[in-house]
Amino acid sequence: METFALLGQGFSVALTPENLMLAVFGCILGTIIGALPGLGPSNGVAILIPLAFSLGLDATAALVLMTSVYYGAMYGGRISSILLNIPGDEPALMTTLDGYPMAKAGRAADALVLSGVASFVGALLATFGLILMAPLLSRIAYLFGPAEYFALYLLAFSTLGGLASKNQAKAIIAACIGLAIAMIGLDNSSGMERLTFGTLELIDGVDFLVAIVGLFAVTEVFVFIESSGKQTAIGVKIDKITIPVRDIIRTFGTMLRSTVVGFIAGVLPGAGASLGSFLAYSAEKAISKDKSRFGKGDVRGVAAPEAGNNAAAGGALVPMLTLGVPGSGTTAVLLALLMTLNITPGPLLFEERPEVVWGLIAALLISNVVLLILNVPMVKIFVKILMVPPWVLLPGVTMVSFVGIYSLSGSWFDLLLMIAFGVMGFFLRKLGVPTVPIILGILLGNYMEDALRRAMVISGGEWQYLFSSPIATGLWIAAFAGFVAPLFLRRYIKTPDKVPD
Amino acid sequence: MKHLNLKSMALGAVLSLGVVTPSLAQECIAPANPGGGWDFTCRSISKIMYDIGVVDNPVQVTNMAGGGGGLAYSLVVNERNDDPNLIVAASSATATRLAQNAYAGMTYDQVRFLGAIGVDAGIIAVAADSPYQTLNDLLDAVIADPSSITFAGGSAAGGFDHLKVLMALKRVGLEDIRTVKYIGVDGGGDAVTQAIGGFVQAVTGDISEVVGFIKSGDVRVLAVFTEERLPGEFNNIPTAREQGIDVIAGNWRGLYVPKDISDADYQRWSDALQAVADSDEWAASMEANGLTEFNFVGDEFQTYVADLMEEIATLSREIGVIQ
Amino acid sequence: MAGSKTSDRVFGALTIVVALAYIASATQIKTAFFSDPLGPRWFPYIIGAVAALAGFSLVIRPDEGEKWPGLFIFIKIAFACAILVVYALTLRRMGFLIPTAFAAGLLSYQIEPRKLQAFLTGIGLSGGLFVIFKYALGLGLFALPKGWIG
Repeated sequence: METFALLGQGFSVALTPENLMLAVFGCILGTIIGALPGLGPSNGVAILIPLAFSLGLDATAALVLMTSVYYGAMYGGRISSILLNIPGDEPALMTTLDGYPMAKAGRAADALVLSGVASFVGALLATFGLILMAPLLSRIAYLFGPAEYFALYLLAFSTLGGLASKNQAKAIIAACIGLAIAMIGLDNSSGMERLTFGTLELIDGVDFLVAIVGLFAVTEVFVFIESSGKQTAIGVKIDKITIPVRDIIRTFGTMLRSTVVGFIAGVLPGAGASLGSFLAYSAEKAISKDKSRFGKGDVRGVAAPEAGNNAAAGGALVPMLTLGVPGSGTTAVLLALLMTLNITPGPLLFEERPEVVWGLIAALLISNVVLLILNVPMVKIFVKILMVPPWVLLPGVTMVSFVGIYSLSGSWFDLLLMIAFGVMGFFLRKLGVPTVPIILGILLGNYMEDALRRAMVISGGEWQYLFSSPIATGLWIAAFAGFVAPLFLRRYIKTPDKVPD
Repeated sequence: MKHLNLKSMALGAVLSLGVVTPSLAQECIAPANPGGGWDFTCRSISKIMYDIGVVDNPVQVTNMAGGGGGLAYSLVVNERNDDPNLIVAASSATATRLAQNAYAGMTYDQVRFLGAIGVDAGIIAVAADSPYQTLNDLLDAVIADPSSITFAGGSAAGGFDHLKVLMALKRVGLEDIRTVKYIGVDGGGDAVTQAIGGFVQAVTGDISEVVGFIKSGDVRVLAVFTEERLPGEFNNIPTAREQGIDVIAGNWRGLYVPKDISDADYQRWSDALQAVADSDEWAASMEANGLTEFNFVGDEFQTYVADLMEEIATLSREIGVIQ
Repeated sequence: MAGSKTSDRVFGALTIVVALAYIASATQIKTAFFSDPLGPRWFPYIIGAVAALAGFSLVIRPDEGEKWPGLFIFIKIAFACAILVVYALTLRRMGFLIPTAFAAGLLSYQIEPRKLQAFLTGIGLSGGLFVIFKYALGLGLFALPKGWIG
């Protein structure tokens, strides 16, 4: 019961009126940052670090502000995913798949409430996981070497086939586009340039945010122009806003399962929340008996990625705190913040600086509760976005995307790249090629290649090394099953035709 | 303290609502994403400069990742060459890349190096359960069979972490350094994790990256690449030099400024940096982050950087990183 | 253009061509000197090969394609695209307010051709977003061309 005493101590530090105000402020700001395309949790936290300093906040207060912005952004990303089919940030990518169809069907409010609750469940349970098992969980990272990571990423890609596409070849091509783009830039292993064609702007590769905003926000403008607005959720009449109790109860199992999947993905240093939401969605789809509704507005497809990505966000704090290894972009920024505050995360942080750790955990719990309280009533305001006439909304979203990207990199090159992605996205969408695998390819491509290259260095080029541990072998089997099984099943399960809009 | 918080929060709210324009005239560019050494340099130095009052407003930290620092370097050289309100974080990695001609032909004399005020000592470490007890044990094992040992470090192949190992191995007479197995991972923490997991046999990095793991007993540091032993709690770690391997390598944390600023502006920044170096806040920050003293501010730092680059260039040519 | 299997076949063929070009440019990647059995070329080769195979499978087993829009729509989209490109190029030199007002106004007019409404949208979005980004989020934006304000 020592844990609870420590937690109580954490609360007593974190629960001052000032800190509560900071939490509310941070949650609102984070939600906005998360919802704006082009600004995600990692840049949101980075933008706000100077604010924390200029306010002269002490360590706990700074952590309260930053974690509430972090979690606020994790909650906020889903809003534009659901309403506009534009992921507000990369972890909210998967939420577009079923959230947007729900919005088109007039159930935007239900999707928002449900995803808010799912986010809460994921984040809350992950925080408990962090409290109870962090020192133990940090050991998991020791079990994953290059071979295991490679198999894990392979598993992530192998389940792509069935994703929002009738034709697996198209999903594979999409993944390859993403992977091919990921190869551009400095090669992590050798430190030399690849495929940059001598362009300085490409040395660091293509930022996935540029790709996301291009493929979703810019493409959406073109699609809107083409269809004269008939294919969007904008202006769709929204039924009375109620709390979808039945959906919440029905998806409760989904939320719990996705939390576990997402949390584990988060604990492994790698792609963090995006991988968490992706694996949670794929896993939920894999075990469900009735897969045909996925991608067309299935409530499970909304609950799974949101529980998954918020759980992963909590999970990613485990390696950051216990090993000093950031599990995601955002935790890298938080790590920087901690180090500036003279707190060095590592295996002894829990013993040496309990007030920081438990203050942080208390801050996580507080911001979660604040976010749930803010988010459910605020759904009424969020859905009003769809009532904004398209001739204001679409230019507005486009300008926000441009400025979001521009303000972070200051480069018109990125803006042109973003437009190019938008044009590509338009053609791909007409061809029925899913764009989600492209983003995943960009996000995971370098990790996957690095893992393979490192494994080959360690083994001296022996391929058997890739299957040398039980974990690696298990992941390979799962990947194989995930890829091959749908190939065979495809012949027997007739994919229902697209639901007419 | 509480009152201060409330007041400053109100101020923050006002700032955020846009009633007052924050005038953040001075800027520190961290030429990488948040979270790394350059980011740390900018953030701590900026914070301390403001805290001790050598600047009137908080110095705004901008992250400009690109080309391993090359993008920021080119921006300073080409577009902000006379901006007196700009400082940029630099480290041994900056010197390494300049020496290896990795900044698209730009050279070190196109900016003015301002100074370095702390060094992160280079180390070689192994997992606690490793059979290697001394640096010589490890290096001898590499010589006996290079394929039996993989080193992991936070920089890409050819980077400073990799070079340190090769420097040490050259001292004990390894002929073909290209047979040495090295994997570049995402930072020192990651490298240590891989070593503890048993996937690699040794870690090359900086002491700050392994502080927590030393204290927890998960790793054993075989050698530190400093001239003298480190002060304080790490005093029991032997230097490479006392084990007969004469390698000095550390990752200093410093700044450069644009070339064409006036001497008065250069002086103003060096005074500010020196004030940071002398402050208690910086001493505390160095201690918490495993840095040791390394105070080199002003013109003589330019000379130091030039010499260092000469050495790195020679070594890189020897091992074939550059032609 | 009517919806048919042609578009998938064309896309598949195009994929094969691009994949082969990608592999060709990957052969130009400089390799390292140190111990690196796989090297920086193989992963790009694998990606190219997989993409080419998938493209081939699309050529022989295409789906029924969607209807392509007519020429007029394409011109409209190309025009929107041009607005965005010009916007991207002027944002830096002209500051935030003027290019944003123009781009937002023109896009708005494209979506619904009413002049006054588009004009107001442009002005409103430009001013409103500037306030949000500059002051609420503290991003470093310039309102006007640098020359205009000392």
